Amino acid sequence: MIKKKITNEEIGFWIVTIIVLIVVLGPLLWIYLTAFKSASDIFSGSLSKQILFTPTLENFKRLFTEYPFFASLFNTIIISVVSTILVMVISLPAAYSFARWDTGGGHLLFVTISTRMFPGVVAALPFFLLFRNIGLLDTHIGLILLHMYFNVSFATFLLYGFFKDVPVELEQAALIDGYGRIDILRRIVFPLVLPGIAITSAFCMIWSWNEFLFAFLFTRDIARPMTVLISSFWGSIEVQYGTMAAGVAIAILPILIVAWVMQRYIIRGLTFGAVKG
Amino acid sequence: MAEVRFENVTKYYGRNLAIDDLSFTGKEGEFFSILGPTGAGKSTILKMIAGIEPVTSGKIFFNDILVNNLPPHERNVSMAFETYNLYSHFSVYENIAFPLRAPKWKLNLSREEERKRVVEVASFLGIEELLDRRPQALSGGQKQRVSLARALIRKPQVYLLDEPIAHLDAKLKFLTQTLLKEFAVKYGITMIYVTHNFREALALSDRMMVLRKGKFDQIGTPEEIYYTPKVDFVGRLVGEPPMNMIDGELIKEDGKILFKAGEYFKITIKNELAKSAEKVARLEDNKLNVRLGIRCEDIKPGMQKLSENSFQLPVYAVVHEAESSVISFELENTFLHVRVGEDADFRRLKISDLLWLNFKQDRIFFYENTMKISKS
Repeated sequence: MIKKKITNEEIGFWIVTIIVLIVVLGPLLWIYLTAFKSASDIFSGSLSKQILFTPTLENFKRLFTEYPFFASLFNTIIISVVSTILVMVISLPAAYSFARWDTGGGHLLFVTISTRMFPGVVAALPFFLLFRNIGLLDTHIGLILLHMYFNVSFATFLLYGFFKDVPVELEQAALIDGYGRIDILRRIVFPLVLPGIAITSAFCMIWSWNEFLFAFLFTRDIARPMTVLISSFWGSIEVQYGTMAAGVAIAILPILIVAWVMQRYIIRGLTFGAVKG
Repeated sequence: MAEVRFENVTKYYGRNLAIDDLSFTGKEGEFFSILGPTGAGKSTILKMIAGIEPVTSGKIFFNDILVNNLPPHERNVSMAFETYNLYSHFSVYENIAFPLRAPKWKLNLSREEERKRVVEVASFLGIEELLDRRPQALSGGQKQRVSLARALIRKPQVYLLDEPIAHLDAKLKFLTQTLLKEFAVKYGITMIYVTHNFREALALSDRMMVLRKGKFDQIGTPEEIYYTPKVDFVGRLVGEPPMNMIDGELIKEDGKILFKAGEYFKITIKNELAKSAEKVARLEDNKLNVRLGIRCEDIKPGMQKLSENSFQLPVYAVVHEAESSVISFELENTFLHVRVGEDADFRRLKISDLLWLNFKQDRIFFYENTMKISKS
């Protein structure tokens, strides 16, 4: 019998893989285990209780009945979906214009991106004063506008790269073939940057879904999204691990699904240049 | 079909002059080639005709209609790009059918009609079996033929082809060239064809233009370009080996005019030829410098002295080709190439053997020096 030799590289590969898996999956595992534990199991010192416990739904029941969980989930959905759509509506033509006609000679693009270069807190104070004066505090529109402020620059920059990858000669060929500008955008440019649009929307959506700082500062009650609600379980007297884990378990599900579905596009997006004919 | 006319067209890319005050006419129904080395401005001319590059100054007419300000889709031209520019998200079929579906032309073909036309042009170019593939799955030569098919599928005012067969292998190149000529003759189309390959231009064109640095050196039929190049550059660009160019001086001896280049190279030239030589000669350091051009097949070699006007040179190299051989002689700053037929005498030639050479007087040209000649 031929014994397969295990090389040092293989051992190294597996060690690194296991470390990465623990780092990535460890917190997820903790969240989903904790969400189904009773309070006594969560604080139990014995290791066996940490893994082998009687699952319970009491955390979820508490979350759904004692807290406005669905209202804040709905807020999160509204804010992230609407802000992402609006961001794309603004960023798509902007990025195309930067990529095709070098609008503003590079300066305008830089200014757009530079809004992403300082800490968000810097923008928070002026926005807070402004929003207070025009009555946008604790409103959906207010938070949507703030998320747009941050995501438009990011999305424009990302889409700029994707549009840049579409050779201008393709558009010229289509012009000669008898198509107008709008038709060319629809039939040539748009299908070619579709993976880029998918990735960009996914990133914007995920960012908006997870955003905490602005949500925390600009909402109290009506427009409060899930991230702020979940943080409120971490009180000054006690930390409600069970309810918090249950909330997080639900909150991260859509993001996990989006990332999973987008996986194909993200990989295609990364190799976009290689696919070109 | 349309006539294409350039009037004093100039094109700058930033500060670089690409086309310099160019005027020419590609006549209606004519196969008009633009021949020139890389960077001469050939593709720029096509792009300006198509309308994807604006002119800096000057006018472009299609049948006396000024088209300067018309966008590409209003000009009704079709173009095959050197870089193919296939739509990678479409199949080959969709790529070829794309111009037929453009709302601009209002063709409104039924599916069957469209299919018929696509299959017709695809089988014409031998790419019928590729119709369902994506461009990414094609070789360079296949992509080039798809791009050509897309250009030929419609009947526009003018066809613009930019090096459309440059990336095909030799066999396919010859075949496609024949097909293109057949296509042009059959439909009587106006074709503007860009190439850097003089053989393609000579084989296909009704007339051709030799372009250098954004200006043309000569426009004429392939025969005129080949047999009577007006400028040394044209003679050097067209022909393999290129036309021999010998720099020398005109001298007078016993009332005769002689052309002299170096020690051994001295020939008497006829009076009428001498006049044309004096016209282009330049006086430098008390010498009347001039460039003599002659095609390699217009020099007669011999083992014995052929005439009073012949002279001897040592053989530098001999290259045997299928139906002829090229004998090279080294001159001061260039090589002199002579083409000879299948002759046993020349087959036995060895390097450094002395050979007599006689220039056909009526095939000698004199040129102004407009380019550097080197041994390479």
